[in-house]
Amino acid sequence: MKHIDGSQGEGGGQILRTALALSMITGEPFRIENIRAGRKKPGLMRQHLTCVQAAKSISSAEVRGDKIGSQELEFVPHTVRGGEYHFSVGTAGSTSLVFQAVLPALILASKPSTLTLEGGTHNPLAPPFSFIEKSFAPILQRMGPRLEMTIERFGFFPAGGGKVSIHIEPKKTLKPIDLLERGKLCLQLGESFLSHIDINIAERELNTIRKKMSFAASELKTRQVKNSPGPGNLVAITLEYEHVTEVFIGFGEKGVPAETVATRACQYAKEYLRSDAPVGPYLADQLLLPFALAGSGSFKTVKPNLHCTTNMDIIKMFLDVDLKITKEKDFLYRVDVV
Amino acid sequence: MKKTIAIGLLGPVLDEGFSVKRWERWRPTVALCQHEDLLVHRFELLHQKKFWRLANQVIEDIKDISPETEVRSHGIEFRDPWNLEEVYSSLLDFARGYSFDTDKEEYLIHITTGTHVAQICLYLLTEAHYLPGRLIQTSPSGKRNATEPGNFTIIDLDLSKYDRIASRFQKEHKEAVSFLKSGIETRNAYFNRLIERIEKVGAVSKSPILLMGPTGSGKSQLARNIFQLKQSRRKIEGSFVEVNCATLRGELAMGTLFGHRKGAFTGALDDRPGLLKSADKGMLFLDEIGELGVDEQAMLLRALEEKRFLPVGADKEASSDFQLIAGTNHDLSRQVQEGKFREDLLARINVWTFTLPGLKDRREDIEPNIEYELEKFSRDNQIYIRFNKEARKRFLQFAIAPDTQWRGNFRDLNAAINRMATLASGGRINVKIVEEEIERLKLFWKSGDSRNDDDLLAELIGSKQAESLDLFDKIQLIEVLKVCRTAKNLPEAGRRLFAESRKKKKSFNDSDRLRKYLDKFGIQWKDVVV
Repeated sequence: MKHIDGSQGEGGGQILRTALALSMITGEPFRIENIRAGRKKPGLMRQHLTCVQAAKSISSAEVRGDKIGSQELEFVPHTVRGGEYHFSVGTAGSTSLVFQAVLPALILASKPSTLTLEGGTHNPLAPPFSFIEKSFAPILQRMGPRLEMTIERFGFFPAGGGKVSIHIEPKKTLKPIDLLERGKLCLQLGESFLSHIDINIAERELNTIRKKMSFAASELKTRQVKNSPGPGNLVAITLEYEHVTEVFIGFGEKGVPAETVATRACQYAKEYLRSDAPVGPYLADQLLLPFALAGSGSFKTVKPNLHCTTNMDIIKMFLDVDLKITKEKDFLYRVDVV
Repeated sequence: MKKTIAIGLLGPVLDEGFSVKRWERWRPTVALCQHEDLLVHRFELLHQKKFWRLANQVIEDIKDISPETEVRSHGIEFRDPWNLEEVYSSLLDFARGYSFDTDKEEYLIHITTGTHVAQICLYLLTEAHYLPGRLIQTSPSGKRNATEPGNFTIIDLDLSKYDRIASRFQKEHKEAVSFLKSGIETRNAYFNRLIERIEKVGAVSKSPILLMGPTGSGKSQLARNIFQLKQSRRKIEGSFVEVNCATLRGELAMGTLFGHRKGAFTGALDDRPGLLKSADKGMLFLDEIGELGVDEQAMLLRALEEKRFLPVGADKEASSDFQLIAGTNHDLSRQVQEGKFREDLLARINVWTFTLPGLKDRREDIEPNIEYELEKFSRDNQIYIRFNKEARKRFLQFAIAPDTQWRGNFRDLNAAINRMATLASGGRINVKIVEEEIERLKLFWKSGDSRNDDDLLAELIGSKQAESLDLFDKIQLIEVLKVCRTAKNLPEAGRRLFAESRKKKKSFNDSDRLRKYLDKFGIQWKDVVV
């Protein structure tokens, strides 16, 4: 039984999700205390509970303390079983957080799985579906497992109501890879997604991207999202390289001008471009776990944040690996799995 | 883990919205299902049938925003949402028809939506436990972004769950109990429990209270204290009217109790309202209710049941709404058997019956009562009176001794303390005063004995025959009867009465001897035994 202090490092829900994933893979039960201790509303919130319940159902786990506001949780997993799963996330909480918690176990399961997730798909406080699909999934596929991701409906805050499905063909082990170069730029794209929002918002956003990023008209697209129950808007800047694709998102919010929304996405993209690192901060966060599971491999990234280092600490508790960070120069760090 | 069930009214104004713009507004019913730290497993959405379209929209939106929540809609009918009677009735119907499962589910009553009248009704139904849950109030976050779920507050109407309020109630309860005991720190467990119960009953009940107990056990004082407690809690408006029924004899009894018209009888010079009328909205204490005449009992019963009665000489009924406290030192059910007290009246006043023990059954309370009487005397007379140490010891020793009778109970104790305090020189009661008082009490109780002896004879052989007896026979018979009364059966009484003869003679025919003796006076053994 691993004992985890939920208030360490970044002290949020990520500690729980990483612990759930690793516990299911290693079969090692854990007990976590002080869950989200420093937060305004401490303890497990609904989105965390959904993750716990999802993990519980794919691994037939025994769970204690799984109620709202609980700051202690005990999780004892059994065998992870691939199969058909359906999870719904309330409060427009993000489906990708549930995905994060259960995916690592399912890519190593003995049977394929189909995950259907309902709820928010594009939320400011979680990796948006588009990022997972375009940026994270292709790298994971290079390590062995197959992922087919489809989005049926977008789910924006606050209405939610999105739906995605992910088919997973698992592998027994993950193949280590190195991700040290971007390679040459294949495609750059600026997109504005709209649901129940006036089209001139997209025009203003794309216009901003054109000016700030010097994209050509053919590199700018308006995407009218269908079927999403609520209003929503986001800007996505995709930079597709030979070895890696990065996606930078700006979220539309009521009361925030379209130009500001687009500018935010541009700033993220420009920060990335200022460095040579192939892996941006969000992608780095997602890659730590599969790289550690592979047992070796390395990638280069921008400066690892607190989120990232906390994640590493939890990984090292469950897996017999070391994650080494080496600074090569400003905005360029190398992470090695040893 | 219990499931959380929200019960709330659809807000035709606050929850309104069909266009996509509705997502930019805070809608309480939808927002209630949107909180990260509150999972509503089921929402019972009540709405007027005409708002079915809005209800469906809200249900759809809750499905999107909170797939974990099951929403059930309930069409309820009231024409005017500001009419308390209509709204309350239809919500009560809902509550009555709903099967609550409080073992598995907890209920939150959402009071943010609906008219103020609806809120009041939900509050009332929750407070009365028709809706066995807690209230939940929600509000928007107040930030510019109205898409946030905002805030919620859960309000438990069970005031005992709030420490500060509970401790206030506790304190008030203690003060009330102490008040009922006239501030005397009584130690007798039975008596203290009794007062606790009276405090609880007194706080809520308007039903008659029957105080039983020997004379001087404090019935009258307690009745007055109950009244004052109710008065201080604003549970009673009128005044306290007290009368001893033993003083209401003959023709005047009716008029005194129920009033009379001018000229109803000789001497009725004016209209007189009567004690029942004077006690209107207040409290009537009828001490020694067993002494009430048969006609008065009938009229009192009617007054209790219908709050109406007929004054003497009047052709119209008068009305009075009072709380009755009755006192008695008799066993009223025995009086019912003997035909002296109406059974239906007893049933009517026997709702809350409390039996006050006499002083000899509360020996541990004698000391605090002595303190109380001394203080009271000192206060009333503005002289500070104390026992000296030895005197106090002596009096207490006498007072709590098992063979000290305290026949007049607290009345005797009160009189004793008053006498000693009056005789005390320099504010000190000394041993000499105490010894004198003890003698006085003993003598007093002894004379009371002879009075009782006459009663005993009268009871068994009738007062006429008793008067015709020679003193010589009378004294013998009384002592024989006293032995009989304390014996278990005839042979035991015989053995005791003829103990000396038994030692000397071989004959053991004591029972027969005693039976024959009693026979001479026409007394059967079964009459002797109480």
